[in-house]
Amino acid sequence: MTDLVLHDDVLDENCYRVRLFLSLLGRQARMVAVNVVPGGAQDSPAFRAISPAGVLPVLRIAGVEVCGAGAALLALAHGTQTWLPRDPGGFAEVAHWLEFAGGPLAAATRARRIFLFGEPGDRDGLRRQGAAALRIMEDHLALRWLDGSPWFVGDGPTVADVALFPAFALSRDWEVGHEAFPALRRWMRRMLALPGFVTMPGIPDLGVV
Amino acid sequence: MAERVQPAHGGAPAGETGEGATRGDGWYPLMLSMDLEPGTVAGCTVLGRDLAVWRDADGRAHVWDDRCPHRGMRFSLGVVRAGALACLYHGWRFGPDGRCAHIPAHPDLSPPATLRAAPLVAAEQDGLVWVALGDTPAHGPATGVAGQCVPVRSLAIGAPARQVAQAIGLPAGSRAGGLDRDIDGLVLAAVLPVDRARCMLHLLVAGPGGADADRDRRRRVAAWGQDLRDRVEGAEAAA
Repeated sequence: MTDLVLHDDVLDENCYRVRLFLSLLGRQARMVAVNVVPGGAQDSPAFRAISPAGVLPVLRIAGVEVCGAGAALLALAHGTQTWLPRDPGGFAEVAHWLEFAGGPLAAATRARRIFLFGEPGDRDGLRRQGAAALRIMEDHLALRWLDGSPWFVGDGPTVADVALFPAFALSRDWEVGHEAFPALRRWMRRMLALPGFVTMPGIPDLGVV
Repeated sequence: MAERVQPAHGGAPAGETGEGATRGDGWYPLMLSMDLEPGTVAGCTVLGRDLAVWRDADGRAHVWDDRCPHRGMRFSLGVVRAGALACLYHGWRFGPDGRCAHIPAHPDLSPPATLRAAPLVAAEQDGLVWVALGDTPAHGPATGVAGQCVPVRSLAIGAPARQVAQAIGLPAGSRAGGLDRDIDGLVLAAVLPVDRARCMLHLLVAGPGGADADRDRRRRVAAWGQDLRDRVEGAEAAA
């Protein structure tokens, strides 16, 4: 029996962020499928009743409905031993990257939806912005590596890594290859090897050698 | 602006460093050795030619054309299994010599010798994985840098290799060489032409240095590389 409920779309990158984190935490949630493509169920009155802006995913946790991946990840990370640093500096860094994942990196999510599902939008512009966001991540991890850590914050994986991971893992969906991002490749292999890692359509499950 | 340069010799000969119009000869620096972990495969493009670079269980690096002979799938999306590179599509496995060793749909079949990937001549030297294009060079790759090279990072740059080589002060036509960077000491820089408009810059530090000194030195070299990238791309955008 679980008190967690996830309103989920299996092809949605933001929903995958939360599914991945649930699995890494070893927690179960009752899954409710939302038919986004082609159903457009995110705009239905029933769904808008729990997510007024039509945002996916929605996580029901501690009796509260939380809308959007960033909020759901933070709610799940709260109180864990290692996924959310308790020291002010580490916490601030995680906050920085969560904001990045929902801000500049959202261009990658939108680009993918244009390429895969034919949504309207500035295809080339968003692809360029998404690649620029990945470059910022690459630069950060290249320096982190020189400090002896493959992770975004601190010495181990945090909720920041989970929030940032899908955009890079799925970048081939919007025709940005991994060749230009050796530090992100290194990080991705370590993500794939985490206990409890789960994949989604578009991410080859190759990491567990 | 340009740094003093120790002349490179031998294996990084003159070529069309910046252009993808013709196939060049000689050695090309594909990636840092540290970025090819054992049992992994990575994609890489040189002069518009897509390559799959993989490392077997014995630690040897292999460079093949990035195309499975079965259905044309990219090898670089595949996986290294049992000392062979397996294609993601149907799982056909190819050994280090390029020969097909195993077809999962026909496990009892001994695949014919004609069924093979296209291995290129690969080498590892000075902390870099190299490939030879054109005729097999008489000598291995050489950067002119003596001693141990410690990797810093690679950077993708949206400018022709020629522009980057010029900006860091490599001799015309050279793809790799040592740069004497004052307090940061000797830096090995290697430039890979990806296509007409893009390149990769690989940076390593060479010579003596303790662990802590090395870390600060490598951080400064990484920061310099990032500055250089932004400068060259800015100039390219303005042109």
